[in-house]
Amino acid sequence: MKNFIEVTELKKVFGNGKDEVHAFGPATININAGEFVSILGPSGCGKSTLMLMVAGLLDSTSGKVEFESKLVNGPKTDIGIMFQDNTLVPWRTVKGNIELQLELRGLNLKDYQDQIYNILKSVNLEDFAERFPNELSGGMQQRAAFCQAMIHDPKIILLDEPLGKLDAMTREKIRADFQKLWMVKKPTVIFVTHSIEEAVQLSSRVILITPRPGKIDREIKIDLPYPRDLKVKRSTKFIEYVNSIQEVFHKYGVI
Amino acid sequence: MKKFIKWILSGWMLILFFVGFFLFWEYSIPLFDIPRYILPAPSEIFLKGSADLDKLIYYTGVTALETVLGYIIALILGLGFGIAISFSSILRRTLYPFFVSIEMTPKIAFAPLFISWFGFGLMPKVIIVVLVCFFPIVLNAILAFNSLSNELTLFYQSTGASRLKTFFTIRLPAALPQCFVGFKYAAINATVGATIAEFIGSDKGLGFYISIVTGNMRPDLAFAGIFFLTCLGLSVFGFVTMMEKILIPWHISMKRINK
Repeated sequence: MKNFIEVTELKKVFGNGKDEVHAFGPATININAGEFVSILGPSGCGKSTLMLMVAGLLDSTSGKVEFESKLVNGPKTDIGIMFQDNTLVPWRTVKGNIELQLELRGLNLKDYQDQIYNILKSVNLEDFAERFPNELSGGMQQRAAFCQAMIHDPKIILLDEPLGKLDAMTREKIRADFQKLWMVKKPTVIFVTHSIEEAVQLSSRVILITPRPGKIDREIKIDLPYPRDLKVKRSTKFIEYVNSIQEVFHKYGVI
Repeated sequence: MKKFIKWILSGWMLILFFVGFFLFWEYSIPLFDIPRYILPAPSEIFLKGSADLDKLIYYTGVTALETVLGYIIALILGLGFGIAISFSSILRRTLYPFFVSIEMTPKIAFAPLFISWFGFGLMPKVIIVVLVCFFPIVLNAILAFNSLSNELTLFYQSTGASRLKTFFTIRLPAALPQCFVGFKYAAINATVGATIAEFIGSDKGLGFYISIVTGNMRPDLAFAGIFFLTCLGLSVFGFVTMMEKILIPWHISMKRINK
């Protein structure tokens, strides 16, 4: 049986001739439907490049990406995407920004009013639906962006360091929000991060990427029960996972 | 009423400055014994100007027509070319560098040529106003339509929306604040262009008026003309600023909060 997502010998080189920069790969990755996979690596290792290539938003130099045996050769549209810098537009309210996703997809806004309220409620933003993004804190903005990425119920969610600019406490809170929503809807998530703890807490599998040009060092299955709350985070097993990943990156001189 | 009082109170320093400025002007004329044909006092400008009011108002209308007509044409052309250049790589490599190099030319230098080509009427003045307004509008529009964040670009690509839909829902509103930088700059240029065009060759308008009365050693009337020009310039700029507030209120409030 084919896997849900198959990435085969994928490679990216930017520029050509003397200016050539080998950014990523070649790498082969298989992802099952409903998995929460973290792509973990030091900055500049090409993990965002990998994510964009998987989404068809960036052309690869060689290799291929397949979704359910179908080759990706242009932007994939059945996805939800979220970046470190959010994609909220300043001229629309929080609700308007969530509707932006639906409008661009040509979906009927009326059918989604309940869902918009519910998803906002699930991240405690229901009272901020009519506020503009610049009236919200950074953490609230990212939670709104998460609603925007999820509202159309995508099968695949791509998260590119979505918590990168937030403070430690807010990160903790939003991780819990992500986990809650993932457990309910079970989309396939590809989560790009450089936080070891974050990767271990959220993912069913962590893929460790070497410094540039990024290649896969190893994959680690995280065998911990969900929801992974504070109790799980204090468990010996959790700490062992974190330690073993730290050792890998220590070997590369990254930490 | 309450709002008005608050406004007066918040602007009292500025009002005080203007009152002080005109008082100083008024009383420094006799104090320093400045001849009237060099610099008249504000009171004299007001009195002599009032006597010539009919002419001043008519000429203001003439100059206003040139200014507004030229500005609107420049706005349409500037936005049109700006959008076309932003979305066409061929135009970006041909027309764009051409516009940038013309931008370096003082456009007003073309004025005598236009007068000799098109005569003393309305058209050469409008063309000159278009010329001085077009470049700030087109260059800012190009900048505006090319500065959409990478994230937003990837986001709309991931939705599979058509280019037209993306243009109206994301690209256009995102570009408006930077476009208005150009619109405002052009609004300042517009009256300057019209006035200088009238200096060079015309038989009516405030620029014509100022050059004639200055030749007749009537600086009082020249100042009256300048006063009306200032009012015209402020109105055009004020209108553009008002449009900005109406069209992109979110941008104004964003600036206020960030301050």
